[in-house]
Amino acid sequence: MLPLLAELSADPATMTLLAGSDSGAGGIAIPFIAGPAVFAAVYGGIYRYYRNTDKRHHFERETEVSVGNLRSGDRKVGENNRQQDRAMRGRNSTDHLQRVHRIAVD
Amino acid sequence: MSVPPEVPDRAHPDRPAGPPRPGGSVPPPPSGQQPEAVAEAAEAARRDAANRIIDTSSGQDDGLNKCPSCGSSEIRYSLTEKALVCSYCRHTWNEENAEEAFGLDSSIADLRGHTMASGTADVREDLTTVTLKCQGCGAEVVINVDQDLQARCHWCRQTLSINSQIPNGAIPDAVLPFQLTREEAIERIDAFTAKRRAFAHHRFKEEYVPDNVMGVYIPYLVVDGNMHAVLQGTGEVTTRQYTVTRGSGDNKRTETYYDADVYGVQRAFDLLVDDLTIESAERFNAQDNAQATNNILNAVQPYDTENAVIYNSNYLKNFTSERRDLNVRDVDDDVEDHFLAIARAKAVPTINRYDRGVRWEREGVAVRGTRWVSVYVPVWLYSYADSATGDSLTHYIAVNGRTGTTMGSVPVSHPKIFAVSCAAGTVAAVVGAIVGLSQFLF
Ligand SMILES: [Zn+2]
Ligand SMILES: [Zn+2]
Repeated sequence: MLPLLAELSADPATMTLLAGSDSGAGGIAIPFIAGPAVFAAVYGGIYRYYRNTDKRHHFERETEVSVGNLRSGDRKVGENNRQQDRAMRGRNSTDHLQRVHRIAVD
Repeated sequence: MSVPPEVPDRAHPDRPAGPPRPGGSVPPPPSGQQPEAVAEAAEAARRDAANRIIDTSSGQDDGLNKCPSCGSSEIRYSLTEKALVCSYCRHTWNEENAEEAFGLDSSIADLRGHTMASGTADVREDLTTVTLKCQGCGAEVVINVDQDLQARCHWCRQTLSINSQIPNGAIPDAVLPFQLTREEAIERIDAFTAKRRAFAHHRFKEEYVPDNVMGVYIPYLVVDGNMHAVLQGTGEVTTRQYTVTRGSGDNKRTETYYDADVYGVQRAFDLLVDDLTIESAERFNAQDNAQATNNILNAVQPYDTENAVIYNSNYLKNFTSERRDLNVRDVDDDVEDHFLAIARAKAVPTINRYDRGVRWEREGVAVRGTRWVSVYVPVWLYSYADSATGDSLTHYIAVNGRTGTTMGSVPVSHPKIFAVSCAAGTVAAVVGAIVGLSQFLF
């Protein structure tokens, strides 16, 4: 069952539970949040451990690839101040399988 | 990337390779014809000329596949020897490494246009039988190539093999022979299921018979690519982080804010992709898990495809093999998506300074050259079709026949998971109530 526990602790819902709640006003809501969150985490964790529906070959990392002639073109275009999120909106730099608008390259 | 229709190159060996035609000046396009159409035709012709076929056929005629030592046709692949073995004289050998023998290992940087090993030619569905004349006794033997690549002559009992590359998808350029024995595979499958008993569906547990593990050769197209990739998007760098206090007394709370600089980001680089593997049998399409858990087969990769040997039908004897039914043109869009995904992954280390992340908005690859080879890879496969539930999903437990990497799908009992999850949820709710109440009271 140890791998299962590992999967559970990787679940975002469990993480927030482990971190505890931050404010006194939310305290009364804890049982109503914790119950369903733990239910979903346990259900999802067991299901994934048995069915492995999320497993695939990570070809984009494991295929042998050499990279060369890197050219970067970065320029400042503006500012985005007073944001409450630590990360920018719509970041997809780690979603390698998500395709975006296709451009022609020569 | 679009791979041009198949192979007119061989059909017109006398066509001049380059421009221009004798007579000098190129005639102007006939009036009334769209200039775009002319440009397209020229482009197509250029790509067409760039299509190159590498002949990977063994050169052997169909029929008796003889032991090089004694001439017997009683040959099989032995997992203990990890080699072909002649049952008559015990001579053991392996076919040559396919990449080296056919020059498929030349530099990827030098690839231009599309280079295709002859085993990747378009599949002909109508080819179902081949008639061979037995060299032993002269009898005619019909082989149903839909199912078999070998047949025994009824008269002289020798084994006849298909050695030529008949275009029915059953004959690859190369084979990656099994390394792991069946017993080793069963051990791994047993261990995999042993860890997944508590919540497994009771029928799966009752019907689980590891003896049903089968050795299967699955067809893959192995692609090398030489390309230039361009990614464009937006990135943000944090310039300031600060907290603001709001309200007062009991309502006092602090909020954290971030200031960021926004950048237009562009990365352009060359990529040389070596041995990207793509499923080339429709039923194993890794993206389609409706009928079977194909992602499991996908997940036991990678294979050391560089070690594949020249095709010999005796490697396939006593194993099951699935025919390739997808052509290069059926998968080339998918391959281009894979190239883009690789480009995105390779760009990650170059955008470290954008601590708030990068949002890629436009991407593209110019494929300068590709090389395609069809390879059979070995999998030990346990499949379980849960027909009683009605959805008839086939669950696979697969073991990579080279590396032993194991992955699987075990059908679950939803009521059991539900019960345990409810129990855990209830415990969490009670603990939460105690914590919450204590905060509320004190
Ligand atoms: Zn022999
Ligand atoms: Zn015969």
